[in-house]
Amino acid sequence: MNKNTLTSSDISGSQLSRRDILSASAAGALVIGFRVPRAKAQIIDPEGAAWALEPEQDEVNAWVIVAPDNSVTIRIAQTEIGQGVWTSNAMMVAEELQCDWSKVRPEYASVNRDAREMAPEWTLNVMGNGAQDPNGGGDPEFRNRDRTGTNGIPDSLYRRMRTNAAASVRDGRYYLQLAGAEARERLLLAAARVWRVPVEELSSANSLITHGPTGRSITYGQVASIAAQIPHPNPEGINIKPPSEWTLMGTERNNLDVPFKVSGKAVYGIDVDLPGMKWAAVRSCPVYGGTVRSYDFEQIRNEQGIISATDFPIPDPSLIRGRLFSGGVAVIADSWYQANTAIDKMPIEWDIPPENAAWNTANMRAALMASLDKPGNVRADIGEVDSALAGGARIVEATYTTPYLPRARMEPGNATVLVTDDRVDIWVGDQSPQETRHSASRITGIPEENVHLHLCHLGGGYGRNGNGPQAEQTILLANQNRGTPIHMLWTREEDFVSTTYRSMGVARLRAALDEDGWPVAMEVKTAMDEKAPGSTAGFDVASRYFAPNYRFSTHSVAFHIPVGTRRGVGAPAMNFYRESFMNELAHAAGMDPYQYRRELIARGDLPYKNDMIKALDMAAEMSDWGSPLPEGTARGIALEERGAEADGHATFSAQVHTVALSKEGKIRLLRVDIAHDEGFGLVNPLSVRKQIEGQIPWFLNDVLYQECNVNEGRIVENNFDRFPLCRMSEQPPEINISFFKSEHWLDGMGHDRGLSLQSTIANAIFQITGRRYRDLPFRHHDLSWG
Amino acid sequence: MAIDFTVNGVQHSVDVAPDTPLLWVIRDHLKLKGTKFSCGIAQCGACTLHIDGQPARSCSIPVSTAQGKAVTTIEGVSSDGLNAVQEAWIELDVPQCGYCQSGQIMSAVALLRRHPNPSDADIDAGMTNACRCATYHRIRQAIHLAASKISSEGRTL
Repeated sequence: MNKNTLTSSDISGSQLSRRDILSASAAGALVIGFRVPRAKAQIIDPEGAAWALEPEQDEVNAWVIVAPDNSVTIRIAQTEIGQGVWTSNAMMVAEELQCDWSKVRPEYASVNRDAREMAPEWTLNVMGNGAQDPNGGGDPEFRNRDRTGTNGIPDSLYRRMRTNAAASVRDGRYYLQLAGAEARERLLLAAARVWRVPVEELSSANSLITHGPTGRSITYGQVASIAAQIPHPNPEGINIKPPSEWTLMGTERNNLDVPFKVSGKAVYGIDVDLPGMKWAAVRSCPVYGGTVRSYDFEQIRNEQGIISATDFPIPDPSLIRGRLFSGGVAVIADSWYQANTAIDKMPIEWDIPPENAAWNTANMRAALMASLDKPGNVRADIGEVDSALAGGARIVEATYTTPYLPRARMEPGNATVLVTDDRVDIWVGDQSPQETRHSASRITGIPEENVHLHLCHLGGGYGRNGNGPQAEQTILLANQNRGTPIHMLWTREEDFVSTTYRSMGVARLRAALDEDGWPVAMEVKTAMDEKAPGSTAGFDVASRYFAPNYRFSTHSVAFHIPVGTRRGVGAPAMNFYRESFMNELAHAAGMDPYQYRRELIARGDLPYKNDMIKALDMAAEMSDWGSPLPEGTARGIALEERGAEADGHATFSAQVHTVALSKEGKIRLLRVDIAHDEGFGLVNPLSVRKQIEGQIPWFLNDVLYQECNVNEGRIVENNFDRFPLCRMSEQPPEINISFFKSEHWLDGMGHDRGLSLQSTIANAIFQITGRRYRDLPFRHHDLSWG
Repeated sequence: MAIDFTVNGVQHSVDVAPDTPLLWVIRDHLKLKGTKFSCGIAQCGACTLHIDGQPARSCSIPVSTAQGKAVTTIEGVSSDGLNAVQEAWIELDVPQCGYCQSGQIMSAVALLRRHPNPSDADIDAGMTNACRCATYHRIRQAIHLAASKISSEGRTL
């Protein structure tokens, strides 16, 4: 871009200097006027499609396109899975752009372009390079990046395209506000050039630029094509608004994808339908680690619509991120129903590793229990735990267990892939498109620059379920059928085979109480699969509830069931252990579980202890804690925290649950009172409310129903008949949510709120029946009483 | 064997194996993709559509059952723009991932035809579709809102 396109009047009186203009020119990283190639094949109903389209006009920057009618397209590099990121991340851009919010349309950022273009230099300078958030909270998290995209790529156009860890708002906010501000300032420069007036005489609001001295106005749409040609002279000098100046962020905004989701028009991966496309049904070995010994295609060759069958081994993990867990067979047909009906009839023999087939729920749990008595990985060791335990007035000990749990999204895994000699096109709902792009290149040998992902809506995520290996399986099949688009779709049962699980877990907690009932020592031992993530959540570094002597160790066993990041990762199980144990200690001490928790947090010195106390106090007050309840009804209280152990991003809430238990033993959640931290400010409080509301029945499922058992090495519960989902009749009739301000940025809230139901319901059952249950889910137990 | 039925008011004749589930005929032959597949065993209700006005889980109903009948899908549930249920769904921002919502809306429309002013107990009994995002809290409010739109604002189903 030629620096001479700016006249002196553009910058007179502003903070911009000639040096700034020169440095902007030298940076040269600003890519403008670039066009995304339109997908080769036209698809059904692009109106409800989410993927990047070729813009009809030049973009202002890689995030913002303004059309002549002032409609604004905002590119979103994170995945919308129902958490509202399409809206909240668009709000961050629009806040600074100051455009007409009613004319904003989000679409996915181009994954292919991300492979070919470098990030604008101004984004590199602000991200992860020492720049601090003006309100504290430190750097956005862009750590440990590499070209596989596992944690985002340090210098690609959109950098972090992964959606996980409730990080989209946390990591995106600063970056996307900058993108909006950069675009707005260039629109202002364009108007200044049109009018030949100093830029500082201009103001903008609602997509309209006004010249103060003359009162003239011009729309963004009228100057956008000029702005596209003007680089920002001083992008490093862009300031973003602090929360006190937000006007759009912080307001409740309906989600922009919703209209397409009530009309049936939203295009999910399963809806992709291309000319000449064939369908594939798959059966993977139900025992992880197993492969295909033989299959007899001749038995089904003459069935209607059947084209071919093929098998796939367990590929080299380096090709596919290690996420294909079993070998399998695919049948390709004209329609999916034909393929799936035929594959059911086709004889398949498996080679199953006998050591994997030897595992079942009972011997796995026993192995985890045994690991607790072996040396573990000591994560915290404060004071003299052993002598304190020996000298305590009273010892309380409890052992808890949690089952294997999948995410069980509603949309079964699927992808559509077309491989030709020099290009790969993939239509998929995906939470890690950079990783999938990398896999596609490794499998096909076609460079990433020629891999095109057309991102679709996803029927749920709940912990990165939208990542594979559905894409990898389909790429393998399409690579064997080059030139033909292959749409692979799993059955519900297959979706349970080709996923990762939250590991089965066990924990043993011991405490020594002094004569007043306060802990003098606490020992926490937890165990899960050795590869399971999140094993330290909620116990690490220091006890949330003070004990002067504290030791926490993690233990593990190597199992064959693949483990991953189910919603909340390790936190749900750990919260169940910790908060259940606090209820047991409070009971042993003869104290109120709210006051007991409050006092133990106050005695500690964790950085955010005042926020935790505030949450407890507020939730207790909201629920009228301590007021009488009818027979068969009880309340429970618990703390939910993320990031309590260290200064930085964190999220706190406390919940009180009012629970009825019928004499026949049926649990009914009556009321939920939630006090929730909002940090410096929520971006879209409506999305936060919705996420919290939904996580209540989501985790109620875990308390009442959900588990996956293992028998002869395979998962037993694999559809919604044996793996039930809560329905409308189980929704609590009353959910009250209140927010409180705190002096830190939030660490996300889309995945670990509501998990305290596990301990509160357990404690309600105890209060009503006198019986303690420490093994989830509670459907195993006869809860009748009286 | 050809099976004749109407979908959203349009006459269709499809030549498929008669035991093919209605869902797959709607999705793959007629290319109406708003009705979703999830469990395949009539447990979750993502595939709910109407057959002669009655809600049905189309993943487990053979297409032959629809012979001579009128099928309505999410694409045809409103004759003109959005109906009162869809409007209420938008107003209260009900969907999260949205995958089950076609089925939820089809069930809600059928419920409101039976109970124009449903109680919470009517909603509990009539809305048995699963939502993995668990948007039940807003679905319930939206059904009440739709009922009031119909009764007091003259909106149609």
